Amino acid sequence: MHRLVVQQIAKATDAAGRVDVDAFAELVGRAYDELDHDRRRTDRSMSLMIEEIDEINRNLERLVAERTEELRAREADLRTQNLRFEAALSNMTQGLLLYDRAGRMVVCNQRYIEMYGLSPDVAKPGCSFRDLIAHRKETGSFKGDVDEFCANVLRNVAQGKVTRTVVETTDGRAILIVNKPLSDGGWLTTQEDITERKRSDERIAHLAHYDVLTDLPNRVLFRDELERVLEGVQSGEQIAVLYIDIDEFKSVNDTLGHPVGDELLKTVAERLRSCVRKTDIVARLGGDEFAIIQTPLRNPAEVTELVTRIYDSIRVPHECAGHLLAVDASIGIALAPEDGADIHDLLKNADLAMYSAKADGRRTYRFFEPGMDERVRALRALELDMREAIANGGFEIHYQPLVNIRDNVVTGCEALLRWRHPKLGMISPAQFIPVAEDTGLINQLGEWVLNTACAEAATWPHHIKVAVNVSPLQFKSRTLALKVAAALAASGLSPNRLELEITEAVLIRDDEVTLATLHQLKKLGVRIALDDFGTGYSSLSYLHRFPFDKIKIDRSFIKDVAESGGSSSIVQAVLNIAAARSMTTTAEGVETRQQLEMLRRLDCTEMQGFLFSPAVPASEIMRLSFPQSDKSAAKRRGADLR
Amino acid sequence: MRTQQAVWNSQTNWTSLKPELKDASLVLYFGARQALACGARYAELRAMFPSAHILGCSTGGQINNNDVSDSEIIAAAIKFDSTRLSLCRHHIDDPLQSHSCGEALGHALKADDLAGVFVLSDGLNVNGSELVAGIIAAIGPNIPLTGGLAGDGSDFGETLVGADCAPQSHAVAAIGFYGSAIRIGHGSAGGWDVFGPRRRVTRSSGNVLFELDGEPALDLYERYLGEEDSKGLPGSALLFPIQVHDAAHPDSAVVRTVLAVDRAARSMTFAGDVPQGWTAQLMRGNFDRLAGGAADAARQATVGLDASEEDGKFSILVSCIGRRLLMGQRTTDEIEAAGAELGAGTPRIGFYSYGEISPHAKSGLCELHNQTMTVTSFAEVRG
Repeated sequence: MHRLVVQQIAKATDAAGRVDVDAFAELVGRAYDELDHDRRRTDRSMSLMIEEIDEINRNLERLVAERTEELRAREADLRTQNLRFEAALSNMTQGLLLYDRAGRMVVCNQRYIEMYGLSPDVAKPGCSFRDLIAHRKETGSFKGDVDEFCANVLRNVAQGKVTRTVVETTDGRAILIVNKPLSDGGWLTTQEDITERKRSDERIAHLAHYDVLTDLPNRVLFRDELERVLEGVQSGEQIAVLYIDIDEFKSVNDTLGHPVGDELLKTVAERLRSCVRKTDIVARLGGDEFAIIQTPLRNPAEVTELVTRIYDSIRVPHECAGHLLAVDASIGIALAPEDGADIHDLLKNADLAMYSAKADGRRTYRFFEPGMDERVRALRALELDMREAIANGGFEIHYQPLVNIRDNVVTGCEALLRWRHPKLGMISPAQFIPVAEDTGLINQLGEWVLNTACAEAATWPHHIKVAVNVSPLQFKSRTLALKVAAALAASGLSPNRLELEITEAVLIRDDEVTLATLHQLKKLGVRIALDDFGTGYSSLSYLHRFPFDKIKIDRSFIKDVAESGGSSSIVQAVLNIAAARSMTTTAEGVETRQQLEMLRRLDCTEMQGFLFSPAVPASEIMRLSFPQSDKSAAKRRGADLR
Repeated sequence: MRTQQAVWNSQTNWTSLKPELKDASLVLYFGARQALACGARYAELRAMFPSAHILGCSTGGQINNNDVSDSEIIAAAIKFDSTRLSLCRHHIDDPLQSHSCGEALGHALKADDLAGVFVLSDGLNVNGSELVAGIIAAIGPNIPLTGGLAGDGSDFGETLVGADCAPQSHAVAAIGFYGSAIRIGHGSAGGWDVFGPRRRVTRSSGNVLFELDGEPALDLYERYLGEEDSKGLPGSALLFPIQVHDAAHPDSAVVRTVLAVDRAARSMTFAGDVPQGWTAQLMRGNFDRLAGGAADAARQATVGLDASEEDGKFSILVSCIGRRLLMGQRTTDEIEAAGAELGAGTPRIGFYSYGEISPHAKSGLCELHNQTMTVTSFAEVRG
C-alpha cells in the first residue's frame, strides 16, 4: 500500500484503533487536491515556460535575421569596395604584385600582365614567384638566371630591405621596380614604366648642360669639360682655349630684332662646329660669346689654323630670316699649361686676350701675352679718364682745312677730335674712339663735337663749311637728327654749312632706320658725305642707297695717284661717278704737289692734307685759313700751292 | 545521553514523559504560534523540567520523527551526561540590529570549550544573514553554528521565540554546547530545480526585487502562480524560489526565498540580497528530488558526526516552509527520507522555518539558507 495511504489511515485512526472513514476520506481527497494543484502548477509552469522560450526563439530569429541582413549589407559593401579596389588596381599606371610569405602570388593587376605580355593563365593568384619569373623568361621579358634572381629577392625580403631597381627591358623600356617587404612575411612589388620620365630627366639634364638655342654645350658643361680636359693633360702636352665674341652683335638685335639675332647665333654655331675636330669642344657661353677647347694640340700652329678656318667660315655672309648678314669676330686664345694651369687663370687669360683683340679694332685674334692684363687695365683706365675728360673738358677739336683745287680757296674745315691726356699726352682717335664706341660714351662725345664744331663754325666767314664725323653708333640712338637740329639752332649755324661725314659702316646693314635718319638730316638741309670711300666691302652699292652730297676718296688711293701704274684710273672712275651723280669729291691725305697736280687734272673738287695744313686748334684756324677780310691773303696762300 | 519526545494536543495534553528525564538539561519545543502565544505550554514544561534550559519557537509545522503536524506541540527532553550548556537570549527591535545582536549572543556564549551553537531567531524582524555574520564574528568560523528562523505558518504575522521564558516576539536565543564529549554533525541541502529562461535582475535594491528583464517581479510571479496560488501570496511565492548568481561566477549561485510582497510597488522582498545585474532563474520543486535533498542533508549530518553506534544521538531538523507548502501531505516523504538516513534509533525533532541556519555544504561557511532541509545531529560520546 502506498505509504501515504498508510499515513492517512494512521492519522484517521483513533486511539482505540477505529478508522474514521470520513476523516480518512477527507485526507485522501485533500491529497488528490494537492496533486491536482501540483499538476496544474506544473502544467502552467510548462506552458508559460514554453511561451517564454517561443518568445525568446522569435527574438533570436529576428536578431539572426537582422544580423543576416546586416551581414548581407556588409557583404554588399565589401563587394562594392572590392569592385572599387579592382578598378583602382586595374587602372593604376603601375604594375602591382602582392606575394605572401610562402612566395605565392596573392594579387596581380592587369597592368603588370600587359607590361610584360604575360599569359593570365600563368600569372594568376596562387602561382609561385619562381614560376612567374620563369614564365617571364620564357616570354622574353626577363634575362638572367631565374633562381639567382629569386634567391636575391627573397633574401632582401627576409632582411626587410626595400629595394628600388631600374631594369632595361629587351624592347628598350626602362622599368622602375620597387620591392617592399610586408609585416606578414610577404612582399609588394610595383613596376612602373619610367621610359618617358627617364627621357624627360635626360632632357632636363641635357638642358642643364646645353644651350637651348644652338644645342651647344653651355657654360656649365664647358667648365666641366675644361676641368676634365685639364686633368687629363700630361706633361709636355698642350690644349688651347679660344674665346670668340661676335663683333657688333648687339646692333643686329637692336635693328633687326631678336628672331634674326637668334638665327644668326644658330648659323654661327653651325659654322664653328664645322671648323672643329671631333675631339674639340665648341660651347656657347651666353649672349654672343662662344668658346672652343682645342685638344689635343700638337703645336700652337694648329691654333692659328683653326682661327683661320673660323674666320673663313664665319665671314661668309649668313642668311638669316631673309637678311644677308656679314659677321666678324674677336678671338682671344690662351694655351694650357703655359697661360694658366688651373681653369680660373686659363679662362681669365683667354678673356684678356679676347678683350685685347677687341681693343685692337676687332675682327682679329690675339694670343694671350703676359702684359695683356696690364693692357686691359690700361684700357679700363683710359675709359675712366675719358669719362673724366668729357666731364672736365680734356677734349679738344682741331680743324683741318679743305681747299678747293681749282679756286685755291679754303671752302671748309673738317672737325677732328683730339684728346690731350694729362699724363699720356695726345692720344689718337684711333685709340680712344673704339673705347668710346664700346662704352657708349660715343654719343656724349659726338654730341659735344657737334655742338662745339657748329658753335665754332658760326664764328667763321659765312661761306666756310664745317664737316663733322658721325659714328655709325650715333645713328643707332635714333635721335641724331634731333641732336643735329639742336646743334644748329644753338649755334645759329645755317644747315647748309654743316657737313656730316659718315663711313660705309653706317650702311653696312640694310637698315630702314638709318636711311630714314639720313633723309631726315638731308631734310634739315645739312650735307652728307661718304667718308673713306673705296675701303669698304661694297662701296658702290652705298652710292646706290642714298643721295650723298660728297665722296671723300680715301688716302690709300691718293698715295700713288701720281705714279704710273698707280690708282689714278680708279680715282678717275670715282670722280666720274661722282660727277655723274652731282656729288663733289674730296681727296684725303694729299701731301705732294704731284698728287695735287694729278687731282687737278682729274678734276677732283677739293683736297685735304698736310700739303696745305694739318689739323690745327680752333684758335689757329682763323688766322691760318681765312684772315678775316682778306680774300687776297687767302688767294695768296692758295697761290703758294700752285 | 538520553532523549525523550513528547507531544501535546488539545485533547490529550502532554503525552507521557519518563520520570528519569526529570533532570533533563535541555528541552526543545516547537508549535504553532497560536498554540504557543499564551505561554501556558512553556509553564507546563518548566514545571516538568525544573532544571532544564527550555528553548522553543513558533513554526510553520512540527516535525516529530516521521510525523509532520500543525496542530500539535512537540517537545524533546535531552539529558546530557557531561556536556555543559549555556542559553542566552537577546531582544531585537529592528533588523538593522541583527549583526550586533548576533555579536552579543556570540560573545555571551564564547568559551574555550564551546563545541557548537544552536540558534532560534525571530523570523520576521531579523536579517538572518546579518545575525549569522554577527555570531560568527564573535565565536569564529570554526564552531558549528546551526539553527533556524521561527515561523508563523503561512500568515507571516508574528513569530515567537522562548528561551527559559515564555515565547516572545522580537527575540533571538542561542544555546551553546560545551565540553569534549559532545559531537555535532550538520548537513544542508535543497533539491529544487531551475527551470525556464535565465533572466536579468534589471532593478533591485538590497533584498527588494523590483524588476526582472524590465518587467515587475510580482507580475512574473502572479503569472506563474496563477489566480489560484496568487491569492496565497506571499506564502505561495515560496513555491517558486529564485536562484541568483553573478553572471561572471555561475558556480556561486544561491537560492532566495520570498518574505513579503508589495502589491502597490509590484515588488518582492526576499530573505537575502538580490543584486541588480545578477542573473536569476525561477526554481520549482519535484517531490522526489526534494525528498532526495532531505536525505542528502541527513547523510551529511551523519557523516560529519564523529560518534559510534552505541552513543546516544538526537537530530534537529529545520526545514523550509516552502517545501511544506509545495509537498502538502507528501511532506512526510522528505521527513521519512531524512529519517531513513539518520536511523530509527535517532530521535528526530524539528520544525518548518522561515529560514535555516547552517554551514554551507560546499564552502563550510555558516549562512542563512532558504528552501533547504538542514539537519543537525548531536551525539555524546561516553567516557
